[in-house]
Order: sequence, then structure tokens, then C-alpha cells
Amino acid sequence: MHAVRNIRLCTKDCLCLYVCPTGATDTETGQIDAQTCLSGCRLCVDACPSHAISLVPEEYPAQQETSADVKKALGILSKSKTEQEIAAFEIEEAAKTPRAKQLAKAIGMSNRIMAEDLLREAGFMLPQSGEVLKLLNSLVESETSDDFPAEAAEKLIQKLRKINASMEEKTMSKTTDNLLEAFAGEAQANRKYLAFSRKAEQEGHLNAARLFRAAADAETIHALKHFEVAGKIGSTIENLKSGVEGETHEYKEMYPPFVEQAEAEGNNAAVRTFTFAMKAEEVHAGLYQEAMDNLDNQEEIFYYLCPVCGNIEKVVPGKCPICGVSGEKFIKY
Amino acid sequence: MKKYICSVCGYIYDEASGYPEGNIPPGTVWADVPSSFVCPLCGASKADFNEKEDDRAKTSSSTSDSHASLPEDISYTAAELSAVFSNLAKGCEKQYDSEMADLYKELAAYYNLKSEKINKPDLESLESLLQNDLSTHFALANDVAAGKHDRGALRALKWAEKVSLMIRSLLNKVESGKADFLKEKNVYVCDICGFIYVGDEKPEICPVCKVPGMKMTQVGRSA
Repeated sequence: MHAVRNIRLCTKDCLCLYVCPTGATDTETGQIDAQTCLSGCRLCVDACPSHAISLVPEEYPAQQETSADVKKALGILSKSKTEQEIAAFEIEEAAKTPRAKQLAKAIGMSNRIMAEDLLREAGFMLPQSGEVLKLLNSLVESETSDDFPAEAAEKLIQKLRKINASMEEKTMSKTTDNLLEAFAGEAQANRKYLAFSRKAEQEGHLNAARLFRAAADAETIHALKHFEVAGKIGSTIENLKSGVEGETHEYKEMYPPFVEQAEAEGNNAAVRTFTFAMKAEEVHAGLYQEAMDNLDNQEEIFYYLCPVCGNIEKVVPGKCPICGVSGEKFIKY
Repeated sequence: MKKYICSVCGYIYDEASGYPEGNIPPGTVWADVPSSFVCPLCGASKADFNEKEDDRAKTSSSTSDSHASLPEDISYTAAELSAVFSNLAKGCEKQYDSEMADLYKELAAYYNLKSEKINKPDLESLESLLQNDLSTHFALANDVAAGKHDRGALRALKWAEKVSLMIRSLLNKVESGKADFLKEKNVYVCDICGFIYVGDEKPEICPVCKVPGMKMTQVGRSA
């Protein structure tokens, strides 16, 4: 959505120049520079006292369908009006007096406008629509004449294809976005209910603890399904790669500023849990990478998890190198 | 109370509602309307009005079996394709996309050249095409569009029918030797609906589609 100025309405109060953050409204052509205009910003639109600026969308919704019968009925008239247009312009050509020429010309112009309007309502309203794309495709296929402007038609087809594909993609990716958002929500709920279940156990509310565990498992079922439908599960090699990327992002980019912020706020518990996680993620990234490199290696490997900080080792250590807990606590996988 | 219809543009004077904007109060019978009255829509004189016939008979005849004459397929002549593309070019200009507008203009120009010419047309042949529209084509299209609740199509048909009536009246004047009516007058064509206005100056708004007069183009007279 970029801004455009209707020069006929512009009263040169120039408030748009005051408010534009990028200077896009101040050009020698009188038009707003689309390259520097910030999409959807609309500060100039709201500031203009003469309502001369509006936003033009880059994309448009799919058009209302026109029934075949209406197209046919309008077609009878658009055919007739274009015939009258041609007749009128030929009469203008042949007419002897200036007044006869003038009237014939006006009738020709009038018939062209009527034909345009009728055809517009017969399914050709929006220049970017799929309907127009279909028409252009069929013309390019059937036109054999040498003087047919094939290049112009091809350029239009490319533009319209791109616009129509991106409109389709947008509808598709909205659902993908929703699936991933639901996945994140369900995954969080699973961990939350597990935490609640442990707490309930500690407090001796065993029924509540069982319910939380069952609900946590239910959210896992949802999360796994959403993730699968979103198409995010690849082959094992692809998934290991995704693991390396995820863990690397966490230990390199996500946790360091978190730790810094927690230190600045003096929140020692947060500093501790962030630091443990950051160090453990680095180990995980290395293990994923190693597994990727040795995917075809048949030798059996066991992993040992530190239940305090989440560190993973291939040999049980005397004590955890990250959190210092005794190696006896490690869990074998 | 009776109704009187402007033979030029189809404007209806209803005695019951009068024309308060022109100081003719509701309930003024036609005989009491001053002879200086002109059609508020197109400027035709009072003498150009006829009493409106019973329109019930008219609508019932137009709805009968009208779908029978729809064509089998949807197809477009070169002249129609030219109009499709010139109109899409206008659409691009409204979106301030001059690059795309130029591409559509190129296609419009090509199909304009490919349009079939008519062998030495005269005003009579033009009028007979117009008469066909007014006597059958509009009624058929209106029925179909109303049946499909296509309000956009109904709107376009309403405008085009009024514009067609205006053109017929202009042709009638020429035929009856009143071509002088253009003398000392200017001719304007509405860019939006095609209405032809003959008068001293541009109307403030188009009588048919109500677009501001700045969107009406004056048609010049050479020599």
C-alpha cells in the first residue's frame, strides 16, 4: 500500500512534506516516490487537508464472479455498441460539415465508453484479475498475426501470473502460519501441564497430577499433528540439520543477550537457568552435527542426560561439566 | 397524478413529486408546469415530454421468454477486445501504474486496427442498430442481470440505456432537419458513462452518472 497524490485535488498546503519520514512526498514530478514511500504508513494521507492523497494497494482480492448468462446478455450490447462506434467514426470521416463531424465524433466516443463499461461488468473490471489473465493466455495462444504485440501481452501475462500466484500463496501460507502458531501453543501447554503435574504430585494431589499428565500428553498429540500437517518434518538428515540450526541459534544469538539482561536486572535464578541452557544447547548442536556426519555408522551409541541442566554426554562423567551435579544422577538413553 | 417522460433522455416528471429543485412543488399537474421548463437531466424543452404509457404492460412484455435469444457461447470481436483493453488501461491509470497502462493500450490499439470496418455506414444504419438495442437488447439484458441479482451489470445497463436514448434523440433531431440545434452550442461527452450533453457550458455534474463535470470532455468542431 503506497501513497499516491491526486494532483487535481492538491491545494499545495504541503503538510505531507512535514510528516513524511522518508521524503517520498517531496518530488519534482508532483507524484509520490513509490520506492521510498513506506508501505501502509499513511501519515501523509491523514495529514492532507484537501484529501488529495490516498493509498493504492499492491494486491487486490479475487473478483466477484459474473454469471455466464449475464456475460452473454451484456455481450450482445457490447457488440452492438462497438459496431455503432465504428459506424459513427466512419460517418465522422465522411461527413461534409463540421457540425455533422462533431456530432458523429461525439456518438463514436460515447459508444466506446458504453462498450467499455458493459465489458467491465462482464468480468473485466480489475486489470490484475485472473479473468484477464485467462483472456490474455487464450489470445496469445490463438493469435497468429505478425503485428500482434506479443511482447506486451507476454509482459502482462508475467505480471499477472506473479500477482495471482502471490495472492494464492498468501492464502496458503496463512494456514501454515496458523499451524505453526498452534504447534507452538500446544507444545508450550504440554510443558506447562508437566510442570503443573509435578507440582501436584509434590503437594500430594495425585488425581490432579494424573489429569495434568494426561492433558500434557493430549497436547503433545495435537502439537505433533499440527507440526506434521505444516510439512515441517523432513528426512532424518534434514531434521538433524534443523536441530543444529535451532540449537546454534539459541546458544549463539538468543541466550547471550538474555543472560546479559538478567545480570543487569540482578535476577540470579534467570541468569543460572539461561546459562545452563545456553551451554547445554551448544553441546546439543555439536552432537547433532556429529550424528549427521556419522548417520550411516552402525556402531551403537548411548547418550546420558544431566537432569539438572540438560547437558548430554556420551560417557557418564564424574560430575556434570556444566552444572557440577554428580555423574550418578545422569539418565541413560 | 400522471407521469411525463422526456423523449430525449428518459427522465420522468412525476406530477405527484413535482420538481422542487426547479421551484415546481409536488402536485403540480403537467399543464401548470411553465413552458420555460427544461428537462433537468439533459436540457430538452417541455415540448419534448410525452405522457408516460402504462408501464405495467411494458414490463410484462419484456420479460417473456427472453433467455431464448442469448448466444450459445461467450466470444469477443476484435472491436470488443479493443474496448476491454482500453478500459483496463484506464483502470491501471487509476492505480497510477502507467507501465501496465501502456501495455494494455498497445493491445487496445492492435485490436482497434483489427476491427471490422463497416461499408459506407450512414446515420440510418447507425440508428437501426441503436433501435435494436433500445427495443430488445436492453430489456433482455436487464431481465438476465436482475435474475442473477447482478447489481453492477444493472447499473451499467441503466446508464447505457439512458445514454442510448439521448443519442437516439440527437439522431432524430438531425433527421427532422433540426441539425441547427448544434449551432452556438457546445458538445460534451462524459468520460465515465458516455452521456452526450449539448449546451452552452459543461454541466456541474453528468446528468446520468453524476460524475463531476470535470470528467466530461468537450468535443471540438473543426473550422
